[in-house]
Amino acid sequence: MRILIVEDDLEAAEAMERGLTEAGNVCTRAADGEEGLAAARDGEFDVMIVDRMMPKMNGVQLIETLRREGDQTPVLFLSALGEVGDRVAGLQAGGDDYLVKPYAFAELIARVEALARRRETGSVQTLLRVGELEMDLIGRTVHRQGKEIDLQPREFQLLEFMMRHAGQSVTRTMLLEKVWEYHFDPQTNVIDVHISRLRSKIDKGFDRPMLQTVRGAGYRLDA
Amino acid sequence: MRLPRLFRTTPFRLTLLILILFASAASAFLAYIYVATAGEATRRTDQEITREMHSLVAAYDRAGVDAVNQSLIERAASERPFLYLLMTKGQKRISGSIEESPVEKFTGAPAWTSFSVTDQDAQGHTVKHPARGLQQQLRGGQILFVGADVGEDQAYVDRITRALQGAAALVVVLGLGIGVLVSRNVTRSMVGLTDVVDAVRNGDLGARAQVRGTRDEFDELAAGINEMLDRLERSMAGHRHAGDAIAHDLRSPLTRLRARLEVAYLDVEAGKGDPTQALAQALEDTDGVLKTFGAVLSIARLQAAGAAPDPVLFDPSELAANISELYEPLCEDKGIDFAAELSKDLQARGNREFLAQALANILDNAVKYTPSGGAIMLRVRRRSSGEIEFSVTDTGPGVPDGDRERVVQRFVRLENSRNEPGAGLGLSLVAAVAEAHGGRLELAEGPGKVGELGPGLRVALVLPRPT
Repeated sequence: MRILIVEDDLEAAEAMERGLTEAGNVCTRAADGEEGLAAARDGEFDVMIVDRMMPKMNGVQLIETLRREGDQTPVLFLSALGEVGDRVAGLQAGGDDYLVKPYAFAELIARVEALARRRETGSVQTLLRVGELEMDLIGRTVHRQGKEIDLQPREFQLLEFMMRHAGQSVTRTMLLEKVWEYHFDPQTNVIDVHISRLRSKIDKGFDRPMLQTVRGAGYRLDA
Repeated sequence: MRLPRLFRTTPFRLTLLILILFASAASAFLAYIYVATAGEATRRTDQEITREMHSLVAAYDRAGVDAVNQSLIERAASERPFLYLLMTKGQKRISGSIEESPVEKFTGAPAWTSFSVTDQDAQGHTVKHPARGLQQQLRGGQILFVGADVGEDQAYVDRITRALQGAAALVVVLGLGIGVLVSRNVTRSMVGLTDVVDAVRNGDLGARAQVRGTRDEFDELAAGINEMLDRLERSMAGHRHAGDAIAHDLRSPLTRLRARLEVAYLDVEAGKGDPTQALAQALEDTDGVLKTFGAVLSIARLQAAGAAPDPVLFDPSELAANISELYEPLCEDKGIDFAAELSKDLQARGNREFLAQALANILDNAVKYTPSGGAIMLRVRRRSSGEIEFSVTDTGPGVPDGDRERVVQRFVRLENSRNEPGAGLGLSLVAAVAEAHGGRLELAEGPGKVGELGPGLRVALVLPRPT
């Protein structure tokens, strides 16, 4: 993937670039909003990672400008401002996701991958398929190897999210945000319990587990 | 030289200004009265003298000096005689009731003069009376003086003048007096407020203005200042406590983190040991510190804002249902019996996200402290007062009565739970959320002791009746 990093903190930008490059991406860096705007206009990127607060032109202004010009590249905002209002303002400006600093690197990579993937699936799907697993979004049914799996509504949503991001690491925070729409970190392992329930339904009795735990990151659904 | 405080006050200056305006108006008024009374008396006397003079001149014109003398004789018997003097051209006395003319330099033109006559009163004392007179030359060259004793008129004028002076003095004294009184009154009210401001400036945030219950603007100002100071003091106390608490709760994990890194560094330097474990542990410690930090920030922001942002009307039972859906599997996993009792058709006003987080924090705590085999009950209901109550009751060890107040404070964790994970900010954040909604957090004993379980804790987040 080609990733544009617009971040005025050089050390943070370098660490990000190194990590993303090691994960197999090609990165371009810009140190402020104006530089970022020029880079975004010049190049084609799969994802832009944009710091909200920067000299010259802040992240929100940058994305507003790009969106007005018709640029639809997915944007992940990074910000030290984590309150509800800040997040809403970032998303309203045209950001696609919002990550509050400081973050775990696994979280950043998972979100960048999720954003890039989202772009690929342009058409509306009524049927999701990951390996042996099939989900009918209209009939609200799930089958594995042709055998129907009975899921609670929330488990269905959870699996849908995992299937849409199959092959990618998905963090607990992402699940809490995207499936439950809560933007806080519980002190207890609530998500793990939900995942293990889902796992017992889709993996139990089958020869190969699909729902994997990724150490230090979260979970991944493999085909 | 500095004026005494009283004279420097705005009300006193205003009073002085009004006094000056008032005194000017009073002077004009008094001057008119003077002209209309005392001036009138003098004018009347002058008219009488002129009339007498005309009648004598007419007599002279008719029949000469003799006619004048005849007239003077006739008039001498009247009740209020004029003063007469008839003189030759060379100013030698011919006849009259006075010896010589009070007019000093007579040029021949009619001349008015004021003088005084000596008289004897009833007791035989010599008294001087003021008098006025007119002297004029007759056609034959003789000179005639007609005067009148204006003693009575003058006394009348003097009385009026004295009365007017008195009135003027009264205006000034009363005005000043009222000015001083008003200033003192206003100043006393202001001094109280100024003293409070001074005290606060000198660092005494506990100073409060006296509210006298008069409901005037000073009372309103005093009440406003007091309310402002209350909030300021609470906020300052919060910050001070937060400072201590942050130092306390961040310092220990940071110290641990540092020690761990140092040991790992020394081990690696000595060529022994695997740094991976130390690094993983260090990362975990860092996350803990960051979580604490995030919670502190949330609390600080809520307290600084004073009100929850973006409040909306919502169904509190629906919010609770969503949260219980999140926590139910966790309870089941831990062998805790979870139940929810959610009243229907309720409405509450607030920030859903903060309230969801608060509820999650309460449940986190309940799950953390309730042992396997215990129970947790989540309930949403409307109190008879109209307030909306979210309550979570558990069968954990509970919190002793004396400690309940304390656990709500920031960072406080009871000693015996120090080794449990969590920053100890859970209930403080709940309290901050409740306060930001104009509500409160209540802790009470749970269902009581049953065998190994209990007595439990009942945590209630109470929101005001939605308006």
